[in-house]
Amino acid sequence: MLTQTNELAAPLVSLDQVSFTYPNGTQAIGEVSLAVRPGEVVGIVGPSGCGKSSLLSVLAEFGRPTSGSVTWPQGEHSNRHRLSMVFQKDTLLPWLTVEDNVKLFQTMNKRRAVEKADIVDELIGLAGLDDFRKSYPYQLSGGMRRRTAFISAMAATPRLLLLDEPFSSLDEPTRIAIHQDVLNIVHRLDTAVLLVTHDLGEAATLCDRVIVLTARPARIASSHDVQFGPERDVLALRQDPVFLDLYGRLWHDLSEQIERSRASQGEERP
Amino acid sequence: MKAKTGVRLQQLALLVGLLVVWQFAPQVGWVHDSIKFADPYFISSPSEIVTTIYDMATGHNDSLVMWSYLLSTVVASLLGVLVGTVLGAVAGLWLSNNQHWSDVLRPFIVALNAVPRIALIPVFIIIFGPTLKTAMVTAITVVFFIVFFNAYEGGRTVPPHVINNARVLGATASQVMWRVRWRYVLAWTLASLPNAVSLGLITVVTAEILTGTTGMGRLILNSVTTVDAGLTFAVVVILSVLGSVLVGATAVAERRWQHWWNQGDGVIGS
Repeated sequence: MLTQTNELAAPLVSLDQVSFTYPNGTQAIGEVSLAVRPGEVVGIVGPSGCGKSSLLSVLAEFGRPTSGSVTWPQGEHSNRHRLSMVFQKDTLLPWLTVEDNVKLFQTMNKRRAVEKADIVDELIGLAGLDDFRKSYPYQLSGGMRRRTAFISAMAATPRLLLLDEPFSSLDEPTRIAIHQDVLNIVHRLDTAVLLVTHDLGEAATLCDRVIVLTARPARIASSHDVQFGPERDVLALRQDPVFLDLYGRLWHDLSEQIERSRASQGEERP
Repeated sequence: MKAKTGVRLQQLALLVGLLVVWQFAPQVGWVHDSIKFADPYFISSPSEIVTTIYDMATGHNDSLVMWSYLLSTVVASLLGVLVGTVLGAVAGLWLSNNQHWSDVLRPFIVALNAVPRIALIPVFIIIFGPTLKTAMVTAITVVFFIVFFNAYEGGRTVPPHVINNARVLGATASQVMWRVRWRYVLAWTLASLPNAVSLGLITVVTAEILTGTTGMGRLILNSVTTVDAGLTFAVVVILSVLGSVLVGATAVAERRWQHWWNQGDGVIGS
């Protein structure tokens, strides 16, 4: 196995006082400072429309921060791909089979393809998609499509994985069934994760740390450490009093932010 | 299977019915009296058309033999459609992938598309002579624009998150163009082919009528000077069979490459 998460390790990526304003003047991110350590799973929750996804866009370099900076203290010395992303909407290419979709990174990066050839087979196995290797996306269920999108992103063996409400379109049993595989795979490949979600249970289940954001423009309202460690049983955990307590605290903080955003919207109205 | 046989039988019955009406209605007194053109002199008849086609195919009854004329039309149409389609698809792909040049060139393309290409045939005759080339070039100018606009729209329908996903996985601009956009462009190009083929054929025949030297258009010119409805309709029937065969060939290509298209995956991420 690769290195374990280390409290003392230099951050993989850090955001220093990052703010982001859209060209139309809407300020999505107020000022956020945040460091993600290698292998750490960090959850981001917040009132809807608060700028959670904008945070991921800045990290993925779809937009530059209006102020502040994003730094990768470990530099580029690692030969691993810096980051990949699972989008809320479907990104599978419908004319490619599951296998070819998972191989997309290898197709786009021919030079790195050789050293990472085995990973595709391994990921397809880990995600339970062995029987669907040659299937096209339209032949898959919603859950299988999301699994394929997830392992397509993981096939790049990224150091950081951005998850933008990746399972929000799934029903709860399907979602929970995917959670265990997601955890196993990100730990197996020692990938750090930044998970944006509106599902507090999902955040508490998957993350080592959960950050609650304020309403737009987003700032950090509170941060909660999760004590379950990397080896966890996502089903059993849901009945653990610690989980229920954490869920309660997250809900308390989030509802406070929702209340505040409602109140401020009320003031703005004529 | 049974339902399909039923459809085929009804199609056959409809065809036979139409032929019977065409053949025998002009012989009914009141039809002949009340509709002026219900006369084989104007509209010929199925039996006369069959005889004419037979004569033209074999040279029977001192008839003109049509094969060299037909070959000329087929070659001009096929080359015209092929070259026009390839140029239109590639131009559509390129401009849909390139915002800057799309902004610069679009007004020109719209203006060029408004030019009545048929009016340019005299210019083409001066340049290329009254040959097959003139018919082919005119067809290219018509087919190019039909395919281009479809291909361009196809390239623009790729959802932004699909492009972003490819970029995050390390795709270069040309990889985004060929590995992501191209399949959408191809799908929309194939969808435009039935129109492109039939308009290409119309253009070729029009050019042939104006040049008056080769092709089925030349035979139509003969039928005008000899006031021969049988010959006109014989040519028309042959041309529609030719058009149907060409359109049928595009349908085969579509079924083979675009199986995913008709499975609700035409617009991914919806």
